[in-house]
Amino acid sequence: MGHRVLVCDDAIFMRTMISDILAGAGYEVVGEAETGVQAIERYRELHPDLVTMDIVMPDMGGIEAVREIVKADRDAKILMCSAMGQQALVVEAIQAGAKDFVVKPFQPSRVLEAVQRVLG
Amino acid sequence: MDVRKYADLFLTESREHLTAFNQLLLEWERDPAATGAVGGIFRAVHTIKGMAATMGYAAVADLAHRVESLLDGVRRSERTANAAMLDLLFRAADALERAIAESVAGGDAAPGVALLLAELDREAAAGPAAPVRESRPSVPVILPQTGPGKGRTVQVTIRADAQLKGARSLLVLRRAEGLGPVSAVTPAPVAFENDAFDGRFSFRLDSAAEVAALTAALVAVGDVERIEVSDEVAEAAQAAAGETQRSRHIRVDLRCLDELMNLTGELVIARGRLHTVAARFSEPDLHDVSGQIARLAAALQNEMVAARMVPVWQVFDRFPRMVRDLARQTGKQVAFRVEGKEIELDRAILDEIAEPLVHLLRNSVDHGIEASDERVAKGKPAVGQLVLSALRERSTVAIKVADDGRGISREKVLARARQQGLVEAGVAALADEELFHLISRPGFSTAEAVTDVSGRGVGIDAVTAALRALGGSLEVRSEDGAGTTFTLRLPATLAIVRALLARVGDELYAMPLTHVAETFDARPADVQRVQGREAVLLRGQLLPLVRLREVLGAAAPAVPRRGQPVIVLELGERRTGVVVDALVGQQEIVVKSFEAPRGMLPVFSGATILGDGVPALILDAGGLV
Repeated sequence: MGHRVLVCDDAIFMRTMISDILAGAGYEVVGEAETGVQAIERYRELHPDLVTMDIVMPDMGGIEAVREIVKADRDAKILMCSAMGQQALVVEAIQAGAKDFVVKPFQPSRVLEAVQRVLG
Repeated sequence: MDVRKYADLFLTESREHLTAFNQLLLEWERDPAATGAVGGIFRAVHTIKGMAATMGYAAVADLAHRVESLLDGVRRSERTANAAMLDLLFRAADALERAIAESVAGGDAAPGVALLLAELDREAAAGPAAPVRESRPSVPVILPQTGPGKGRTVQVTIRADAQLKGARSLLVLRRAEGLGPVSAVTPAPVAFENDAFDGRFSFRLDSAAEVAALTAALVAVGDVERIEVSDEVAEAAQAAAGETQRSRHIRVDLRCLDELMNLTGELVIARGRLHTVAARFSEPDLHDVSGQIARLAAALQNEMVAARMVPVWQVFDRFPRMVRDLARQTGKQVAFRVEGKEIELDRAILDEIAEPLVHLLRNSVDHGIEASDERVAKGKPAVGQLVLSALRERSTVAIKVADDGRGISREKVLARARQQGLVEAGVAALADEELFHLISRPGFSTAEAVTDVSGRGVGIDAVTAALRALGGSLEVRSEDGAGTTFTLRLPATLAIVRALLARVGDELYAMPLTHVAETFDARPADVQRVQGREAVLLRGQLLPLVRLREVLGAAAPAVPRRGQPVIVLELGERRTGVVVDALVGQQEIVVKSFEAPRGMLPVFSGATILGDGVPALILDAGGLV
């Protein structure tokens, strides 16, 4: 049944790793975005089941992107990807409508748990 | 998960971010009030931190984290940059680079960074704002804080080992809100932003759901240790659908691209053979399919070449930082400019010229550009100009390194050349090309020459050799006291070039068109002897001749005929006519470089296989002119 996922991170490294973790568990990564602006555009195009969103990105950060995506689609399922020490930012992202978060460095099991939780 | 397979990707991407880090630092140094750069640096370092932590490179992550803390303070307090802080950040960039290399190589720590770490922390603390996120615009509190509240009391304990307990608590509250009205949150949710929050809180929930269902719903948020409901819903699932659209870019391993290029090259050779074979038969279908294959192969080749092209900034972008450091080390003032960054070159060529460019730039700063006081004394602006530019010229790309320094001292080069017996005692002046010829001689630039000849010539032979191997050339123009310009001419792509085929005896030779200006027939009567060399007058200009037969040591020419074909080679200002037995035609050739055997004539740059399967050596214009 492979849920469709949009992966947003400015680092190819992170996108590759997240994509590998997700693909390994049977999810389908249908798109990638490097900036908040791209994330919004790609979300509009792809209507993915889940979005993984980095917080710090050029152009427009992840939190702003969450706000915009949720404004257009209240049901958007967005999983924040945060670094340690970004509690306040994650809190802000959740206020903006993010559904869950994972903390770098990623442990695949934790990422997949969070994805399953968000997808319900 | 085995993260080692991501090491290459980590390294590549970290380097890109380090380059950005350095460039933005330079920008910030030029304009200390420009806080825009700080945000960019912050993002670069932040990304490196996240990646390094994922790879388990603690030393890199730690260093990046300290830099990030410093920058965060700077960003929020809008501190302007001062020299000490910039210097610290430049050193931090270098340390990060070393730590990254060390970590990827399997080492565990960056040596000698303890001092730097302490300095970073001190600098971060020096800022007016403490590195706590209190001053950031506070998150609007969405939850009402009304008196005792209605419903049952729910006590939540987040797991002790959970990350970001505050954020997790907020998710629990969110989930609870889905079950019924929530009130009396203790402590107030603003506390969730504090990293010290221990993950224990309570609230009142007005819901008719059973305790078990309620507990299950809240535990499902994850990382929940315990839910206690002092006295007793579910949530909906959502689905989404839409057609699949794929990302338009994919990453391809460079080796794969190289192999594809090789195969395309083989196909181009086979196409040539097919064409030759087909010419022997008068079979329309065969000619049709041969023509079609030729067109398809050409189209494929174009696409392959395009896929290998990368903009020169991928290499040029690291130079501003290098020039800055060099200028500082040598105590000089240098304004460095890069032009034509968007010009594209074959990736393989770009990789090969990075080293030579470093060499030339270093020479310019070290030996070309004078110290400020010396410049002022000469009536020049105190700040020296150094320009690195790329320019597309027909099928070639010209890259110039130009400075307005002291120029190469002809006197000293001449003196040195005399000393080594390279020039006649009577020679009093050197033209650009003679000068170039001397400084690019291997061995001319010995350690001794570094001081004697103001360092010019150091490694110029190496630069020339590197360019020749690529089928390119190097030329120099230098004016005493006014500066030096080195021009590197390179084919835009390496793998497949158009070449002129010439015959000498029974052998075929290929001359890439990059340096071919024209061809003509020289009658024996036109050939004169000038200063012991053969030459012809071409449109009023004397063109020195080289007989390929003699160069190759082949037997004396058969019977001199009416006219002999001459290929005019042009390398910058220098022109030479190469006399061959016959011209065979033009053809695309696939360049196969080789390790020249010892003692081989220095006039070949590679070999190729022609359409009919016959091998031919590729002539190097630089070796003949």
